[in-house]
Amino acid sequence: MSTEPATATMPVGLSGAGPVLRRRRGRIKGSSIAVFVFLCMCAAFVAIPLYVVIVTSFKPIEEVTLGRIFALPVHWTLTPWYKAWNTLCTGLSCDGIKVGFFNSLAILFPSLVLSIALASVTGYALALWNVRWAGTFLFVLFICAFVPFQIIMIPLIVLVANLGIYGTVWGIALVHAILAMPLLTLIFRNFYKDIPQELINAAIMDSGSFWQIFREIVLPMSANIMIVVLILMITTVWNDYLVGLTFGGISAAPMTVILANAVVTSRGEVIHNVNMAAALLTAIPPLVVYFALGRFFVQGITAGAIKG
Amino acid sequence: MAPQIALTPALVVTLVGFAWAIGWTIYMSFTRSRRFPDYTIDPADWYSQYERLFGNDAWTTSLRNLIVLALGSALAIVFGFILAAMVEREKFGEGVFRTIFLYPLAVSLIVTGLVWRWMFNPSLGIEAFLRGLGWTSAQFNWLAAPDTAMYGIIIASIWHGMGFYMALMLAGLKSINTEIWSAARLDGVSLWKLYTEIIIPMMKFTFLTCAILLSLGVVKAYDIVVAMTNGGPGTSTWTPAYFAINAYSTRSNIGFASAAAVIMLLITLAIFLPLALVTAWHHRQREAAGR
Amino acid sequence: MPRVQFENITKRYGTIPVLQNLNLTVEEGEFLVLLGPSGCGKTTLLNLLAGLIETTDGRILIGERDVTDLDPRDRGLAMVFQSYALYPTKTVAGNLRFGLSAQKLDRADIEQRVAWAAKLLQIEPLLDRKPAHLSGGQRQRVAIGRALVKRSGVLLFDEPLSNLDAKLRTEMRLEIKKLHTELGQTIVYVTHDQIEAMTMATRIAVMNSGVIQQFGTPDDIYDEPANLFVARFIGSPAMNVFEAIAKGGPNGAISAVFDAIGTQLDLSGYRFAAAPADGKRLCIGLRPEHFGTDGPNGARHAAMFDLPIRHCEKAGSDATAYLEAGDQLVAMRIDPARARTLKSGDRLQASFPLDRIHVFDAQTGRRL
Repeated sequence: MSTEPATATMPVGLSGAGPVLRRRRGRIKGSSIAVFVFLCMCAAFVAIPLYVVIVTSFKPIEEVTLGRIFALPVHWTLTPWYKAWNTLCTGLSCDGIKVGFFNSLAILFPSLVLSIALASVTGYALALWNVRWAGTFLFVLFICAFVPFQIIMIPLIVLVANLGIYGTVWGIALVHAILAMPLLTLIFRNFYKDIPQELINAAIMDSGSFWQIFREIVLPMSANIMIVVLILMITTVWNDYLVGLTFGGISAAPMTVILANAVVTSRGEVIHNVNMAAALLTAIPPLVVYFALGRFFVQGITAGAIKG
Repeated sequence: MAPQIALTPALVVTLVGFAWAIGWTIYMSFTRSRRFPDYTIDPADWYSQYERLFGNDAWTTSLRNLIVLALGSALAIVFGFILAAMVEREKFGEGVFRTIFLYPLAVSLIVTGLVWRWMFNPSLGIEAFLRGLGWTSAQFNWLAAPDTAMYGIIIASIWHGMGFYMALMLAGLKSINTEIWSAARLDGVSLWKLYTEIIIPMMKFTFLTCAILLSLGVVKAYDIVVAMTNGGPGTSTWTPAYFAINAYSTRSNIGFASAAAVIMLLITLAIFLPLALVTAWHHRQREAAGR
Repeated sequence: MPRVQFENITKRYGTIPVLQNLNLTVEEGEFLVLLGPSGCGKTTLLNLLAGLIETTDGRILIGERDVTDLDPRDRGLAMVFQSYALYPTKTVAGNLRFGLSAQKLDRADIEQRVAWAAKLLQIEPLLDRKPAHLSGGQRQRVAIGRALVKRSGVLLFDEPLSNLDAKLRTEMRLEIKKLHTELGQTIVYVTHDQIEAMTMATRIAVMNSGVIQQFGTPDDIYDEPANLFVARFIGSPAMNVFEAIAKGGPNGAISAVFDAIGTQLDLSGYRFAAAPADGKRLCIGLRPEHFGTDGPNGARHAAMFDLPIRHCEKAGSDATAYLEAGDQLVAMRIDPARARTLKSGDRLQASFPLDRIHVFDAQTGRRL
């Protein structure tokens, strides 16, 4: 009951310990509450901008000009969304952001296919097959992963123009594949390195060829890393601006470029609710992927960061 | 033979897409190419583009902004660590908090920039809200003034990246042996002492990784500048990446843009080399300790 | 040095009970070993004592103080962890000092204690090294040193020797026992290794599935195991256990008929706590080293048998013969010199000395 220690049986070490903290079973400690509150405040900081955008996108113009950004719409309306999709003006034309949506889709699939096909085979070859210069090549790839886009941008424009695919979806896809190759290869290689060499050796003894083993043994084992890489690439490609801007020209501009043109560089009246709806439309696909497959997303991001 | 053949596309990409491309750009930076590549180099004047570069006010502003952005965005690492430490201790709702903190990563930097541009808008953003509450002299129009515009970009960067660094720190924290926490609880040391003397030193490598990734991200900062301020007011929010793109697309000057790009590459190398050295040293240390 | 008392300790994770109504008293200065297989609850009990987890119900007392609701740091304990939990960024001296920093001692006091522990554990030359540059055994000593500098009355060990190789383990066993003799702290030590328990403990609490199977001195536990679990857990090679049926005879004499080898075992003279009825299923236990081999005229025996050898294990200083009794292998210690002359198929004669057998109820496992 008493917190005064009986001196006769007092262990030596406790004599200078100061006041004894008694905690009641099940009581939540004060520090836990402080932690929770702080976390909630930070979560609010992170969530509120999105909330503001969502809420504004459903407001009619009159409510937007009132300027009460945190208030819910009095009259919920889908007009801004309709306008954003169909009639958003980018200074050159007013065809809505749907153009960008379909362009982005058209860019996405070849980008994914090219980059993942190239990186997975390369990673497989470097991880499980005896290539003498593998170590050097990996180091070079490591360096390439850090190279800023601007240093290779102009030559790539020259290259893509000479290949005749400048201003097309394929041009963008090629550039994405090139830019993503170093990082993705490293990711695949690290993943494949965990496959026991004996498994591959046994398959070779069973007269499996390089491609056979890849198709029938390694690929089926790659489900986990494929998901991670897919999520990483989908996010990177969909959210990309610079590559789409530089290589897309007018006809293959992705959603982010159209959005930026509409909001940033166009003159004339700024219609905020439409702009916000357009921004949301651009943001929704990767967000859906994130909320649906968040676990793999985290893996993908940290895999991208802890390269090698 | 098959593996070597299968590696050819990657080799080609590396040789052409990277090695040749970098070499070409470096070469161009010594020429006077404008709209189209001009392959002649004047040996007496090979550094003319660099001279112009460092005499250019917008370029010096860009470099300064680079440092400002790097230092300001470093707060994202600090917050990332604090959040990770709290999320790790917080038994209630860890998953929910993680999901919330990480979602900005799924949002494009363009959208991020636009969202914060609206938040800073005086008539419909935070300033309007504060004034609506009765604080009539509230000033939150940071993007309108050259002195404060960069800070707006910093806030948006922190908003976007905080969750990422939190995720990295969380992974680092979870790799710490749970018995260390138990031992510290029995030792009765204060939380502050525990984190500053034990936990943070143990996470040196994670912090370093975060710092390097942050720096590399800052060097590449383009999208967010376009979306928030498009470089303005004036040239006060230009970054080196923005400068290089502008030199090419607006001023149609290949040589000038190439010089800017080469400096960007040098900065990247300067950031990257310590990482490479530290990683190699770290690996050798671990092998020596026989772990 | 304080005594430690567990009163009616219950620990549940959700609906899964790990410990239920467990009572245990550790006397002052005692070396108590909590022994049992993985999952038996011994580590849970230790963590409850340390305060690292909370009880669902029950009280824990250290000395006269009820510590059930106190934080680990206020309980006056020190602990040595299974993986040592040394702070990797601090030197050995730093590790020893760190735990004391919360106790508000002055510098001279701290340095004196560090020096004392370093001398006691012979780690003085290592004081400036970091844990990464120490061997397993050295880290072990530093972990012990870190616990000793706190000068607490109660010392906890969580399987500290499990990460060491066999030779080091033997050395450290002696060291820890020596420390106990010199310093006299109350020690609660968790392990799954019965040799550690038998050699170091003043008393052992054998646990299984959250229940204390038997609590007593090593000798008690070895000579009179309270149930089949304890009988089989202690002793290496494990006790041989034979299934049998009780048979009532004239004058209340009881004998057991072995299932496997059909021999009848005369149990009159065995000190039963509860004599079995006719037809009751029994388990008869005999340790490998207790078989008599000196024939029918030797020590008082309850039965004789003759079984073929499957194989012999020779380990230099001792040898064990494995005999076939039906489906069962019977382990029997024999003289190494004799083992050299035997081969598979040879038949060995052995006797069951009455004063060495143990009779258990086959259903409940309890000693009869």
